[in-house]
Amino acid sequence: MIHWFVEPGFWSNPVVGTALVLGAVVAVVSAAVGVMVVVRGQSFAGHALTDVAMAGGAGASLVGASPLVGFLLAGIVGGGSIEAAGAERIRDRDVGTGVVLGAAAGLTALFLYFVSSSTSATGSTQSVLFGSVFTVSPSVVPLSLAVAAATLATLFIVRRPLLLSSLSPELAAARGVRPRAMGLLFVLVLAASVALSALVIGAILSTALLVGPAFAALRVARGLVGATLGAIVAGVAAVELGILLSYDSFYWSAAHRSVPVSACVVGVVLVEVAASAVWSRLRRGRGR
Amino acid sequence: MVLGNAPRPRRSRLRLAGGLALAGVALAGCAASVAPIAPGTIAVVAAESQYADVVSQVGGRYVSVVAVMNNPNADPHGFEVSPSVAREVARARLVVQNGAGYDDFMRVVEEATPSPRRHVVVAQRVLGLAASIPNPHLWYDPVTMPAVAAAIESDLSRIDPAHRAYFAARLTRFDAAMGELRATIAAFHARYAGRRVATTEPVGDYLLSALGLVNDTPFRFQADVMNGVDPAPQDVGTVETLVTARRVSALLVNAQVSSPVTSTLTGLAESSHVPVVALYETMPRGFDYQRWMRAEIDAIEKALTTGRSTRRLT
Repeated sequence: MIHWFVEPGFWSNPVVGTALVLGAVVAVVSAAVGVMVVVRGQSFAGHALTDVAMAGGAGASLVGASPLVGFLLAGIVGGGSIEAAGAERIRDRDVGTGVVLGAAAGLTALFLYFVSSSTSATGSTQSVLFGSVFTVSPSVVPLSLAVAAATLATLFIVRRPLLLSSLSPELAAARGVRPRAMGLLFVLVLAASVALSALVIGAILSTALLVGPAFAALRVARGLVGATLGAIVAGVAAVELGILLSYDSFYWSAAHRSVPVSACVVGVVLVEVAASAVWSRLRRGRGR
Repeated sequence: MVLGNAPRPRRSRLRLAGGLALAGVALAGCAASVAPIAPGTIAVVAAESQYADVVSQVGGRYVSVVAVMNNPNADPHGFEVSPSVAREVARARLVVQNGAGYDDFMRVVEEATPSPRRHVVVAQRVLGLAASIPNPHLWYDPVTMPAVAAAIESDLSRIDPAHRAYFAARLTRFDAAMGELRATIAAFHARYAGRRVATTEPVGDYLLSALGLVNDTPFRFQADVMNGVDPAPQDVGTVETLVTARRVSALLVNAQVSSPVTSTLTGLAESSHVPVVALYETMPRGFDYQRWMRAEIDAIEKALTTGRSTRRLT
């Protein structure tokens, strides 16, 4: 039965092995951070950070550094700038985010131009924008695991004050939580998560993995813990299923033109979001 | 990225600095001047340095040749044309390009600067090939340059009929040198035909088949690496097995293009003791076309006989 879904060589292919491990780790982090992003209403900041990560990835391929390092450094700088640009009022935050996003996209264009005109690193545009989990070198895995562990640990430790400052800043302030400090800390967590998912499905598409599973889970599950667990399940399923679909698509046409992993992952995420919408509508209909 | 391991970061930083400086110059005023033409010579633009070399071998002292793509560190597939190229093409009496979609920017520049006095030699058309062939690296085919040189000679004689005899004599000399190169290829074929190799890109495929070598790499993989898209994991697995199981005698990589896939493959070749040979996409500095081809053939022969790698032609 399983051979209907899994084409030959899937489990023994070393490229696929690395992709599955890295994909699962990234999906867990993205989902956990994503729930908080949706609760805090920071999807736009999340997307802006992907553009910032893009600039970092392009810069890294220009100087020959690991893309993860570039994604991370740029994310930390960009995240700091977004918070510094003005976080008092929602509108200011929106504008500050937009400014940082535009600047980052411009830098990306400049770096990618230098990469293609002066160095021999080909395919950088493709891998920075759309990711290439099948070509990630296994040597990146330890660093990714470390970043993932640090991100999840930080998120776990500050989950209560973070949630409080998201839902009710006044109450949080009364209890001694500093919203600006929380905001900065969360943007850094977000930057790390975006850097990780940029490796797997590319900078441009990492918003999908960040927001999609979390959004679907928040619609279906009750409570923050339930939603986080649901988002993790949905995220991991999307990435692993996407990798499997991309691998299988090699056999769908006689010419063996396979569908890129990022497209497959985003496709599964969209199906999950659509299913959650149907589910919540049915449930509401029954409740009436 | 494994190619040229240790000095790379520093060189890259220099390159970055150079790139930024260049951008500064470009911004300071787009008045980058075009090199002057020596009096009494024909202005020629060649899209790639290997075609520029053939033009100077045939045209000698009566041509001033400019090569558009001559940086052996840059990936020609990602090349973007600059305004100074447009000016060079506008005043050129003869333009030589590869065609087959490889240097489409030349066609764009020529259409933007129409001139009835300009002759254009397109290698793909000289050879009677379709505009969309899978492997555009025509100059690695030993039949290409003699045909292109003949077309160049006929155009030069039409532009400057006074030196017709001079051009004809230089063409004869070029053909004699190409005859020697063909003899080298035939000798290689007699000794090593049927040996198996793997490649990262189709760059040298025409030469490999002329040498009688069997390239076991799926063409889809080579085309994906050339086009900068991710090859399918199945194909990556196939090629990695060719190297790790030592089913091939050498791995031939494009010296001007590196990506995570090619660096991983080069690393596997190293640890499996499969020699790596760099094939250049554009003619490296300090070579002429025939010496370049001979150096590549020598490097492949060295890999087959001694198992030694050649990462850089010197």
